[in-house]
This record gives sequence, C-alpha cells and structure tokens, in this order.
Amino acid sequence: MPTSSPSPRPERGKFAAKLLRGGTEPDPRFTLANERTFLAWIRTSLALVAGGIAVEAFTTDIFVPAIRTTIAVVLLVLAMAIGCGSFFRWLNVERSMRHKTPLPLPLIAPILAIGGGVVAALLLIFVLLRQT
Amino acid sequence: MRRTRSVPEPEHHDAGLQPERTSLAWSRTTLAMIVATAMFLRWFPQYGWFTAILMAVALCTALGIYITQKLRYHRAVSGIANERIHADVAAAAWVAGSVVVLGALGLYAVLFLTLD
Repeated sequence: MPTSSPSPRPERGKFAAKLLRGGTEPDPRFTLANERTFLAWIRTSLALVAGGIAVEAFTTDIFVPAIRTTIAVVLLVLAMAIGCGSFFRWLNVERSMRHKTPLPLPLIAPILAIGGGVVAALLLIFVLLRQT
Repeated sequence: MRRTRSVPEPEHHDAGLQPERTSLAWSRTTLAMIVATAMFLRWFPQYGWFTAILMAVALCTALGIYITQKLRYHRAVSGIANERIHADVAAAAWVAGSVVVLGALGLYAVLFLTLD
C-alpha cells in the first residue's frame, strides 16, 4: 500500500534541469545505483587525499623529501582527478539513462589504475635504490 | 515510542532495499570524510591554522550529509513508490566539489608551505 501522500512531484531545480536536459526520468533504482557508484568513487578519492596527507605527514623518517613530496603530489592530483571525474561520470551515466543510450565507459577507471601503478613503481624504485 | 511526529514514516516495497543501500552509502561517505579530518589533524603541528581550513571543509561536508540523510532517504522511498526520482545534481556537485577542494588545499600545503 502506498503510504506516501499524493504529493505533487517537486519540480527539478534550474541547475538539474540544465545539466540533465531532455529524455525521461529513468527507473529510480538505476538513479539510486548510479548515486551509490558515484559515492564509491568519492570515497576512493577521499582515501587518496588521506593517503597523500599521510605520506607527507608520517613518512619524514623513511623517505627523502623529494620522494615523499612526489608521492604525496601524485596521490593528491589523482584524488582531484578522481573526485572531479566521478561527478562527470555520474552526470554522463544519468544522461545516457535518460536517453536510453549505452552507458559510457569510465575514463576514471584507467586513470586510477595508471596512477596507482605510477605510485607503486616510484616506491619500488626507491626501495631498490635504498638497498644498494 | 519515538513516533510522536505527525509525519508518517514512508514505506516502500522494493525487495532490493535500494533506499537503505543508498542511505548507507552516504553514511560511509560521511565516515570517510571524518577519517580524512582525523588525518588532517596530524598536520596541525606543522601547518597550524591552515589545517583548520581543511578540517572545516571536510567536517562541513560530513555534517551537511548527516543533516540531510533523513530527507534524502524519504525522497528515495517516495521515488521508489512513485517510480520516478530526480537525480540529485546539487548533492553530487557539492560532495565532488569538496573533495576537489580538499585535494587542492592539500597540494598547496605540500608544495608551498614549509614543513618543519
């Protein structure tokens, strides 16, 4: 039994109407799933921010300043790219669901993979050089 | 016992519990924001007041999500019931924006503020 009162559908804000033009509202389950995926990316981005801060704050005794700063900068830039990219990814997925077109490929996935690989490679080089 | 308010709790019949899962995803994000705030606290001895800006951004976003949780859940439930929901562009832009701002402020601190 639908207990929700027959409330008039709230109109979309100007901002939303402009960014998500045309098409029809998709299945609400899809919209919620898209929102959850977006939030997972945001948490990934937050973890990268926290990681960048941690490298700069906790590793003064382990890493030489150049390595420490480089890793922190790569992590923070990656965090910004993922944070920004996740919003546009969310928007593009929402748009293609409204127009019933195939979902776009996630560009942020390869960015994250390559960025993670770069940081790991930097650390590997540093560890190997330190042992010799 | 707490149901003294006149507004009835909304109900839905979604077997996939989408409103609950989405609400929990927002809660996890709040928690991640608070963890990030705790990390910024570690910078306090070196960067002083600058850390307060980072912490304020993260905490405001965490608090904002927390305050709007119930509203968002109710909207999701009525969205499932009406088979129609508006994508929350403002919330997504706000959360993504604050993560980008945190990254930028962190970058500024790492590159331009001296660590001692």
